[in-house]
Amino acid sequence: MDAWWQCEIPYPYVDKRITDAADSVRASLPNRLCDPRIAANLFHEVLDEFALCDELGMNVLCIEHHAGINSLIGSNPMITGILARQTRNVRVLSLGTLISLRPDPVRVAEEYATADCLLRGRFEIGFVKSGGTEVASSNMQPVNNEERFWEAIDLIKKTLTSHDGPFSWEGKHYTHRHVNIWPGPYQQPHPRMWAATGDPRSAAEVGRRGMTHVLVLRGPEGTKKAYEAHRTARREAGLPKVTTDNFAYAAMVYVGETEEEGIEGGTKLLWFLNTSLKSAPQYNKFLPGAAPPQAAPGLYRTMPRAEAGLALTDAEKGVAPASQNAQKLMGLTAQEAMQQGILFAGTPDSVHRQIMEFYDKVGGFGHLCLIGRSGYMTHEESKKGIRLFSKEVLPRLREVAPVEVG
Amino acid sequence: MPTETTPDRIAVHGIEVEVLRCGAGAPVLFLHGFQPAAPDARFLELLGRRLQVIAPSHPGFGNTPRPKDFESVYDLLHLYTQLIEALGHPRISLIGASFGGWLAAELALRMPSRIGRLVLVDALGIKVSDRETPDILDIFNVHPDTVRAATWHDPRNAPDYDAMEDAELIALHRSREALSLYGWHPYMHHPRLAYWLPAIKAPTQVLWGASDGIVKPGYGQAMARLILGARYAEIAAAGHHPEIEQPDAFADHVIGFLAR
Repeated sequence: MDAWWQCEIPYPYVDKRITDAADSVRASLPNRLCDPRIAANLFHEVLDEFALCDELGMNVLCIEHHAGINSLIGSNPMITGILARQTRNVRVLSLGTLISLRPDPVRVAEEYATADCLLRGRFEIGFVKSGGTEVASSNMQPVNNEERFWEAIDLIKKTLTSHDGPFSWEGKHYTHRHVNIWPGPYQQPHPRMWAATGDPRSAAEVGRRGMTHVLVLRGPEGTKKAYEAHRTARREAGLPKVTTDNFAYAAMVYVGETEEEGIEGGTKLLWFLNTSLKSAPQYNKFLPGAAPPQAAPGLYRTMPRAEAGLALTDAEKGVAPASQNAQKLMGLTAQEAMQQGILFAGTPDSVHRQIMEFYDKVGGFGHLCLIGRSGYMTHEESKKGIRLFSKEVLPRLREVAPVEVG
Repeated sequence: MPTETTPDRIAVHGIEVEVLRCGAGAPVLFLHGFQPAAPDARFLELLGRRLQVIAPSHPGFGNTPRPKDFESVYDLLHLYTQLIEALGHPRISLIGASFGGWLAAELALRMPSRIGRLVLVDALGIKVSDRETPDILDIFNVHPDTVRAATWHDPRNAPDYDAMEDAELIALHRSREALSLYGWHPYMHHPRLAYWLPAIKAPTQVLWGASDGIVKPGYGQAMARLILGARYAEIAAAGHHPEIEQPDAFADHVIGFLAR
């Protein structure tokens, strides 16, 4: 098993009275509440933490989110570019530029090819669907977000793998009549591709495309279901079996010297759930496309009906909408988060045991993505957690070899 | 004497368009806004006393299917061009409310010889103010309470989600999806329509809810100034839906203009 460390670079330093009063901490919170001098310190601290990971042999990954206290990484390619130059040893995963929010996938492919060259092939490309508040801040149509997601991936892949002069693309969402990037990617035919998704329909598509499938904070049941949808789709399409290397899980992780220290660190990570998920109803439950129309009775009514109408699980996608997932996550304690498999925290032994228990519950995975710093966790605390994890837990995870799963 | 509203279907280019029909007299097509007309809407019944009203649901709204990739005002304009041809009246008048007003203005430009008269009700479709002043409230990106307050003169006229049946709420959200596809970007208007409005030949009545906060009366006045000879009137104690909040005053204005 491989491990990938990340920090979303949240900005927690907004007065709680303001965040409590605001209907959303994303998309509409004024940026005068973000001091660029503090932002600068955060960027430098976290880049130093990425460099420490490189020194200790732990891979790194960089996300992207827009216009909110949850993350200052609005420009993934910039941070990825810095990591491309500042790391020397480990692999770098961009997870990733939010492609369905970017008008030109060819430009994204150009950025990724550049990163892969700078990294001399240590680069991996991840795709995330986005939605919610980011639709507002990016001005992009929410209903066919997923269509754009897949068409953009197709166009990026074609751009990265075409080497014989310009080609033309006239798709539903993107037209680009003269595609011919310089340079192409360092890795041939292209860097490994990942996708983060949980619903069964897109999980199946990730499976058919043979991408590395990452589930974020979904807990054992949702994760297992998505992995199974991935494998079933491959089986049904007559595609070869894959190994656990095709599966990844992202959780909050903190390792301390003692159980108490580990859980205290883990508790600090929960800021992400308790504070940064708050989003107004127009960005989640009423946003067109965020949930299928069949979910409307549960979303629109202020007083749920006893007979409940059409249950959310009966809805088109077979999953609760993002707003319901967020609601469940917002009030969690560390113990609950650990029980639900979205936080692994404690001593090295304890964290290793929690990870492997989760591994067994979901049928195995080859990559653990660590949400390793959040909220008010300090630079020193973060570095300590990285050191302990890299030295005490990672070597044991490396012993877990990929196995075929069908 | 009350007139009856009856549901019907009209097949256009393979799409079974749901329509409400009401009354007899000069034909008029009612193009709806954010939601289709309700079968029991009083304004339909009032209009039907003097006019032959045909009120379709746009694809994706009500019970009209939305074919795959049918996502643009371009598609809607072709659909209604075909529907007007299929109805076969030598001349037909249009009432366009809100989003439907945008469609009605476009159709009046595309089919000048077929469109008799034009009524634009709290209509969207043009850019009036400077680039940093939005003319049309962003119903997708602002808080639903703000949208409700801007929509209704009397918020008690707003739909009560708790009282609505599952099927109605599902239809409501389905409509919202379709509206989002048609009007997301540029938001609820065509940047070039204002340039073309002076070419509308049909005699035009612009009607506006005096309390409309989705598009304010000043927008309606600007629209009326752009259409040569257009008349402008406000309906008191009405927001974005004068046809729902003040059906009698609304019908009086429309009949006064169309049935004289």
